[in-house]
Amino acid sequence: MPETASPATRQTLRLGVAGPVGTGKSSLIATLCRELAGELAMAVVTNDIYTDEDARFLRSAGVLDAERIRAVETGACPHTAIRDDITANLDAVEDLEEEFAPLDLVLVESGGDNLTATFSPALIDAQIFCLDVAGGGDVARKGGPGIGRADLLVVNKSDLAPHVGVDVDLMVADAEKAREGRPVLALSRHDAASVARLCAWVREILAAHRGGDHVPQDPGPMAPHSHGPDDHGHGHGHALHAH
Amino acid sequence: MGEGTGELGALLLADARLPTGGHAHSATLEAALAAGLPGERIPDYLSARLRTVARTEAAAAVLALRAGLDEPVDYTTVQAALAARTPSHALREASAALGRGLARLARRVRGDHPAVVGLSTAAQAVPGLRPMRPVVIGALGAALGMTEAQAARAVLYDDVQTVTAAALKLHPGDPLTTAQWLLDAAPDIEASVRAAVATEGPDDLPARSAPLIDQWAGEHTYATRRLFVA
Repeated sequence: MPETASPATRQTLRLGVAGPVGTGKSSLIATLCRELAGELAMAVVTNDIYTDEDARFLRSAGVLDAERIRAVETGACPHTAIRDDITANLDAVEDLEEEFAPLDLVLVESGGDNLTATFSPALIDAQIFCLDVAGGGDVARKGGPGIGRADLLVVNKSDLAPHVGVDVDLMVADAEKAREGRPVLALSRHDAASVARLCAWVREILAAHRGGDHVPQDPGPMAPHSHGPDDHGHGHGHALHAH
Repeated sequence: MGEGTGELGALLLADARLPTGGHAHSATLEAALAAGLPGERIPDYLSARLRTVARTEAAAAVLALRAGLDEPVDYTTVQAALAARTPSHALREASAALGRGLARLARRVRGDHPAVVGLSTAAQAVPGLRPMRPVVIGALGAALGMTEAQAARAVLYDDVQTVTAAALKLHPGDPLTTAQWLLDAAPDIEASVRAAVATEGPDDLPARSAPLIDQWAGEHTYATRRLFVA
């Protein structure tokens, strides 16, 4: 029964993907698998309200060997499974890391939840929070721990913006304002340049993790608090070049 | 050795907020309802469990607690005896998954205690089977200074509350009603506590599996669109 290796000694990056239902988390993960599985040894853990829908989607997408995709039941509490009681997810992550060692990247997809659901740093090393333009242009402005302090905020389905009356640039600008310099990425899987930026960010955070330059951050469950001039608690922004 | 943590340990192990993975389990209730058990009969389901599988598990926890206080600590016999009395592969796996979460907790809070270090003997007892939940509860009970009755009652209480918490997700009902179900189960719980404490050794461990629960648990393994792992 080996203890899980601490982030400092573990080569594998555990990357969480959280965000509301329907914003494209599974699609984002499928995109990452499609783009990166050739260069990185990867595995995926999915959490679903109804078990294995997301795992099946990923398996049917054919972007990763089916046995590298595990579904975890959350007892109808997806937020609990990534934050308050991470046991089932941690077990699945450790099993995958052991069975397919050495892995470079394990992606953990949260079951879609509300804007306050974020991963515990005890489960993942870094996290992406995923919104989409179809959820409304004002969501980024509403804020919340994931929007404000996840390692990367993705504004997904940017290609749909004209059809849902959303100004992507404005939505990204709102998000950047709420994130105090942390990166924001407007993403569409049909926009190769945006996909390339996403992959570049993942490579960068993997390198930072391995170099000991990345410390897992807890976005926290609380509403954003005000930051004084001496606040240096979040000084970990990994540069992401434009959108 | 308990450092005054026995009473707290009993509460800790009974707390649904304990972050060891229990929230994703239904004690086979999800499968039972899917197989046609009427929601009105959930109290009967509780009673059946308390007289069968839960009674066996409570007794195993008591034996494990005693083994955890032995020198050297050896859980081989109790783990093997419990596995032999858990004929359903699905239920052995569910118990081992819960045991894994509890063992992670045990290593964190009492990693140096012989009762916790000794869990490696349980892991070797049955190939491919991690220490089962009652064995780890017994180990934690030994490490925290709990009594045999406390360990047994923790197993039984947790069994009931796993069902009641899952029931609220699976079947429409008033949450307060489930507290009544628990209290109504007191005679069954206390009878099983007494039986567990009176268990003399592994040969004496009751073999009270419930064939219908075994069948439902097996079917659940293949169910799609489920909320709970078991």
